[in-house]
Amino acid sequence: MNKFFGILLGILLLVSPVLANEPLRDELVDTVLINQDCPKPEPNLNYNYEGTERVEIKMAIVDAIKSEMDVYENQPVKFRVINDVHYKGKVIIKRHTIVPAKVAVVIRSGMNGIPASIVFGNFEFENIDNKLLSNFYEVRGQDRSLLVFPLKWALTILPPSGSLTNFIKGGHAKVKKDRVIKIYYHPTWANSRQENTKL
Amino acid sequence: MRKFDTILIAVIACMITFTSSVYASEKTEDVNAEIVREQTVQSKIDDIGAKLLNANKTPNRVVFVYNKAAKKVFLKYDTTLTSRKIVLYDGTYKFTDSDDEIAAFLARNIVLAARSYDGQFSGELNTVQIMASPKKYEVIADKLAVDMMVAAGYNPLGLITFINKSCPQRRFDMISSKNLTSKRLAIIYEYIVNKYPYFLVNNTYINNEHYQNFLLTSQNNRRLLKKKLETGSKEKIKYE
Repeated sequence: MNKFFGILLGILLLVSPVLANEPLRDELVDTVLINQDCPKPEPNLNYNYEGTERVEIKMAIVDAIKSEMDVYENQPVKFRVINDVHYKGKVIIKRHTIVPAKVAVVIRSGMNGIPASIVFGNFEFENIDNKLLSNFYEVRGQDRSLLVFPLKWALTILPPSGSLTNFIKGGHAKVKKDRVIKIYYHPTWANSRQENTKL
Repeated sequence: MRKFDTILIAVIACMITFTSSVYASEKTEDVNAEIVREQTVQSKIDDIGAKLLNANKTPNRVVFVYNKAAKKVFLKYDTTLTSRKIVLYDGTYKFTDSDDEIAAFLARNIVLAARSYDGQFSGELNTVQIMASPKKYEVIADKLAVDMMVAAGYNPLGLITFINKSCPQRRFDMISSKNLTSKRLAIIYEYIVNKYPYFLVNNTYINNEHYQNFLLTSQNNRRLLKKKLETGSKEKIKYE
């Protein structure tokens, strides 16, 4: 008798709507991402913007980028610090220090002379908290929209010639080795808001 | 008889006064409840917006306004780029179920508002570029909104559920100022896969009906992405 109830329970469980309505699994996660290292991103919530001090960090790219077409999002890139960086009389970053970063977003050049852009982010310094640095640095190509928009408006009296200016594309984003890239370190934006509130 | 009439008139007058006062007090209560509701929503979007701005170290001023008007009327000027005022209309607000989804809407607009500060002529040129190339900047806003949400502690999958609910699917996007919603969602998903896989591996949205609907409707696009990841290709996928 117990065996009969056991089989009946098994059948009921198999046809149960709970099992039938099992949510879709994300196959990509189960097959590809599950084997990867997926660190938890740390939000920036303990900020304190009382301080106004900022220290300029000048860098240059290690390997030149000829065009935004050659890079992809999340691609690791390296920069080299050009000069020693001082704060309160001490060297905090030495010259020639290699700084790993990432390509955050790539914006392709568009119609109407809109230039391409490469946005760099995630600058990593050994002794500096990433949250105290500028978020992004953007490199833009030649902005031809300054020429396109006035030309378009001037040509509106001769339709449809004005619309032909749509096809002028913006310049490519290039990062040469001698291009100076500046980001800022804000030493007084220390994560002390919670400490202050406790006081 | 005259006495009876007088009493009747007095009773009717009392009833009218009582009914009108009850009606008036009900109406005042409704108005007060509506004001309180609007203040609650306004305060909520102010807090979420300020958190997004602060967590992302955005050095530009942006304000947030909740507007009860059901929907943006045709040809109404978008104040996001001109006066850096992000208006959350009731018609959009009703699609939001969580703070993640409100943050998704605000973050997208903050990206554009902050971008309108940079560049020549006090950002005027950037503003014109965003207006002239809405499709391109729609995708950029989506991607950078993901970064903003993560920095502020929100789950970026909220952007997927919000867009899945609120943006209709057109037939084509070749001659349009907007991208296909399915394409936008696939690009956002790819961005999260590459940059913040943690949220997919530890997915708190897996039982959300709207996220499930996204999974269901994005099967082909996700197959393309899976193939790209497995082959290690860096080519841009042509999502449908």
